[in-house]
Amino acid sequence: MKKELITLNINGDDHEIAVHPWRTLNEVLRDQLHLTGTKLGCGTGDCGACTVLLDDQSVSSCLTLAIESEGHKITTIEGLAPEAVANSNLENCELNPIQESFIAKGAIQCGFCTPGMIMSSKFLLEQTPNPNEDEIRAGLSGNLCRCTGYNKIVEAIADAAEKISPTK
Amino acid sequence: MTLPQFTFLAPTSLTEACALLEKHKGKIKIKAGGTDMIVRLSHRAVKPDYLMSLKKIPNLDGISYTPGEGLTIGALALLREVDLSPLVLEQAQMLARAAHATATVQIRNMGTVMGNVCNASPSADNIPTLVAMNARIVASCGVKEREIPIDEFFLGPGRSALQANEIATAIKVPTLAPQSGVSYQKISPRSKVDIAAVNIGAMITLNDDGECQVARISMGAVGPTPLRARQAETFLLGKKITDETMAEAGRLAAEDAAPISDVRASREYRKLMVEVLTTRALKEAVGFAKN
Amino acid sequence: MSTDQNFSVVGKSLPRSDGRIKAVGAAQYADDIFLPGMLYGKLLRSPVAHALIKSIDTSAAEALPGVKCVITGQDIPKVKYGNWRLVPESQDEYALAIDKVRFIGDEVAAVAAIDKDSAEEAIRLIKVEYEELPGAYSVEDSLADNAPVIHDEYKQDIPNISLDRKIEYGDLDKAFAEADLILDDVFTVHATSHAYMEPCSCISEYDHDGRLTIWTSTQAPYFVQCLLASTLEMRENDIRVIKPFVGGGFGGKMEMRPWEFCSAFIARKLGRPVKFTLTREEELATGRRRHPMRIHSKVGFSKEGMLLAKEFNVHLDGGAYNSMGPTACFLCGNFGAMLYNYPSYRYYGAHVYTNKPPAGAMRGFGAPQALFVAETQMNMAAEKLGLDPIDIRYMNAMETGNEIPGVATISSCGFKESLIKVAEMTNWREKRKNLKPGQGLGLGCYSFISGGVFNWFNTRYNFTSAEVRAFDDGTVHLMTMASDIGQGCDTVLRQILAEELGLKVSDIRLTAADTAVTPQADLGTWGSRVTLMAGNAVRKAAQEIKEELFKMVSLKFDLNVIHDLRCGNGNIYPANRPDRAVSFGEAVRMAQRAKRGEPVIGYGSYTPRNKGLVTPAFSFGAQVAECEVDKETGAIEVKFMTTAHDCGTPINPMSVEGQLEGSVHMGLGYALSEQFIMKEGKTLTTTFLDYKIPCAEDMPPGISVHVDTYEPDGPFGAKEAGEGLVSPTAPAIADAVYAATGYRCMDLPLTPQKVLTGMKKI
Repeated sequence: MKKELITLNINGDDHEIAVHPWRTLNEVLRDQLHLTGTKLGCGTGDCGACTVLLDDQSVSSCLTLAIESEGHKITTIEGLAPEAVANSNLENCELNPIQESFIAKGAIQCGFCTPGMIMSSKFLLEQTPNPNEDEIRAGLSGNLCRCTGYNKIVEAIADAAEKISPTK
Repeated sequence: MTLPQFTFLAPTSLTEACALLEKHKGKIKIKAGGTDMIVRLSHRAVKPDYLMSLKKIPNLDGISYTPGEGLTIGALALLREVDLSPLVLEQAQMLARAAHATATVQIRNMGTVMGNVCNASPSADNIPTLVAMNARIVASCGVKEREIPIDEFFLGPGRSALQANEIATAIKVPTLAPQSGVSYQKISPRSKVDIAAVNIGAMITLNDDGECQVARISMGAVGPTPLRARQAETFLLGKKITDETMAEAGRLAAEDAAPISDVRASREYRKLMVEVLTTRALKEAVGFAKN
Repeated sequence: MSTDQNFSVVGKSLPRSDGRIKAVGAAQYADDIFLPGMLYGKLLRSPVAHALIKSIDTSAAEALPGVKCVITGQDIPKVKYGNWRLVPESQDEYALAIDKVRFIGDEVAAVAAIDKDSAEEAIRLIKVEYEELPGAYSVEDSLADNAPVIHDEYKQDIPNISLDRKIEYGDLDKAFAEADLILDDVFTVHATSHAYMEPCSCISEYDHDGRLTIWTSTQAPYFVQCLLASTLEMRENDIRVIKPFVGGGFGGKMEMRPWEFCSAFIARKLGRPVKFTLTREEELATGRRRHPMRIHSKVGFSKEGMLLAKEFNVHLDGGAYNSMGPTACFLCGNFGAMLYNYPSYRYYGAHVYTNKPPAGAMRGFGAPQALFVAETQMNMAAEKLGLDPIDIRYMNAMETGNEIPGVATISSCGFKESLIKVAEMTNWREKRKNLKPGQGLGLGCYSFISGGVFNWFNTRYNFTSAEVRAFDDGTVHLMTMASDIGQGCDTVLRQILAEELGLKVSDIRLTAADTAVTPQADLGTWGSRVTLMAGNAVRKAAQEIKEELFKMVSLKFDLNVIHDLRCGNGNIYPANRPDRAVSFGEAVRMAQRAKRGEPVIGYGSYTPRNKGLVTPAFSFGAQVAECEVDKETGAIEVKFMTTAHDCGTPINPMSVEGQLEGSVHMGLGYALSEQFIMKEGKTLTTTFLDYKIPCAEDMPPGISVHVDTYEPDGPFGAKEAGEGLVSPTAPAIADAVYAATGYRCMDLPLTPQKVLTGMKKI
């Protein structure tokens, strides 16, 4: 079956690619564009490792068709700190405050859920700049983590919220 | 797993969409948010030659309210939109609760209430409250529209009363009568984010003497389609609502439930939960009705 | 031993060294690697639980455009493998089934194609004719008269028992005769999934020099190297295993797996890279899991509450192959008699084959099962004897210096302190008396090993080793095969090395887990062995460097022999004259000059010798769960967890806390929500929708304290922190539910339905 030529706007860049209609956004990001920061953990929308932002809304890229992503603004983990991804010396780069908080608070262990967690956190903090603990936990309802027990992730998001939108 | 091969269709009008349904009858599936359809495709539970997206069809999104008539929820209104809609919160907050109880943040950002309804899964979160509130599904064949009372909409697991050439375009939810209240109750094996093992929607209307004038109770995940608790409803009619009558209604609802045992819960547990949740739903609904 | 050492790097909650690369999404896991010309692999798995393979027709698959290779059991060397190389007859698996399949999911064939779609389609086109055999789906089935024999090609005294273990000490019969209270109960515990977030993946490449390189999501690169060598009939040194970033393991990635073999085999055959990545459904439906067990436990107490005797009979439902079952069978026997001093003990453990996906190693490795039983019985005994559960434990608790006859000596133990702490932190005695309806408070305790001493893999190398190269710019390069799979050993080993050499963590370069580069060997990340064992090896390597540099500094200042030298702040200096310091880099330069250009390299290794039969060091701890039970629905909400534990010196306290919280998460799932629903060998719970690991909203808040101990056999006093804590959560929650409802759970998991059944409401 013939592929269709589409243009995906990812992290501000237009990518012109040929895709089969049955390709998911996750497959295109990872297998075609090698933007592998977005993970695939389950393929059924249950784990959140594949979370990206589509027009600033968090979605599961494994359940999103690539052809239907055309005309939307796609943001992946690579788009949160573009300088860091492009630059080989990570130590001296400015990261997104959410990323900094995840690192500082010990919210990262194996790191496989991390990009999805961070994208969900970004969506959460845009909706609710100063979430309480329950709101943070609810905001992570679509992201599973097997290493951390979530508590340090919750702490990290609260920490990032305070940095981005200080309450005092 | 990769998805099976299909031809993708994205019609830009309802007429075109319905014509495509007619043309590819038996070989076509519809997607809106896709959160259920993509999983079913991936598991090869369905293998259509054509997959048609509704997303490019204008005027299927949005939530509106007409005084005297009620709420209209468009086919493309997202779970998240219903969850947060001020109109829904004001007119039918339990629809928002049910939408919020559906799956996860990401799924609510993608999936639609209508999709949840049209999948006709017995455990769907959004169905019981819509049944309790006596909603109607607007179906269009591109030429003309008809309204299907929700009680007649579900024919079996995954099967609805939509004709092969019809698309469900909106859900109409009538305005609540005065002194009415609604509740949505759900229990699932994993405490917070989970598919329902049993869910109950209840609506009750009281008269000035505090007696039950109307009662509609819908039970999810306890039969091939959402079931009405007919015995309980009949029992309540004309009765003063007390803890005892509500408890008895719960017991009667459990009698009407016909659950199976599956990976989510056993038959016995589900029956007991129908009783508990029905009683709880009635209590909450009566509380709203009295205020 | 002093515990108030003045550490400068050890004991600090430094952010992990791979935090930034993971946070920006640049960390490459196996499936993130793309090589030119790469093919995609896919496995065909058996849809039947027990059958003979009559024929396999691959012609349609081979004819599909894009398909480059199809292999079956007939194409591969007839070499069985398994981690227990010490007992060769226990090695019972072929990478692809040759004549028989033994579980739903057993690998039957593999394909490689130019894209995923073709590989998946090719799998659907392979036709296998099976002759189905009767299946055995439980321990009872497998041990019944006329049960089907699952492995008939090697001799077993009792059919389907692949091996058993006995432990006995003390006069058990006499002790039971004298006991005032005897508890005699049967428990069943269930299988759970590791549910690591990264599905298994690997990619192999065969180069023109005849070397095979495989990047694979593994906890044990060395095991993969050795077992690929034997099954591919290659030399070990011709195989290079590289561990990229790994998204969790929890015991589930510590064996060579069929996809690793197939990827390597096809890459060698075609000269093209081949990647295999499992789906979540494959992981959940066919992957390794925690051993379900049937445990018959009889314990005798005096009326004062002293333990007198225990008889512990365990049948492990091992599934279709041995996998790591033998180790679980051995360790379960040891954990059955841990924590308390049992004057007499008799253990019988049997590993039973069934036609189900094999159980393997999983965090805790026999301990969660044994301790669920042991701790529940402690709580039952306390109630029957009218004692506080804290007190009955305290009077029987192990202490530093205690011996487990013939098995181990406890070289450090903070168990009693943990009990006292946890009681204080929860206001235990008061709170227990003042519970509201539906509220419960429960206690569970644990002990765990810090690495094993038993060489079942039969390695010819030291258990772990490290090489440190020092440079005259003041930096060092640490090379170790120790594998960071998310637990954080890359950071912790850097901290240990920095402490020893007086450097900053940022002065350390690390190369880890590449069998071609890092020193042979390290047995892998499992059994909570890495911090203690690899940590000791790193220290020894650093000490060799210090020795050499100290000579230079001594010479430079013409120091009297009585002078002690120290490393600190990037310098080396006489202990009493910090002002006469030579920078680390300068000392390296002098040493190199003195050796006419030879580099300064230190090597260290560690193998536990003379450490008994189990482990060099044990961790201990106590945990209290506070729960609320909805008595109408049976729903259990865990409100708060309080933990006091002894892991020796925490090298990185934040990392230890992370391990603890992760353990509570896994323990919570084990207790309440996670289970495989099976029907005649078929796993029905194959997505994360139906296999329910706790989500953020289910996870209770909690507090923890670390009890101060110093483990003499551990690096800077450290021992295990990441695994033992998975055990106390289930018994603590079950005890709290008992307090709330009167229902005593002896059959995990503790579902709302069981609570209501236990309360006689269903």
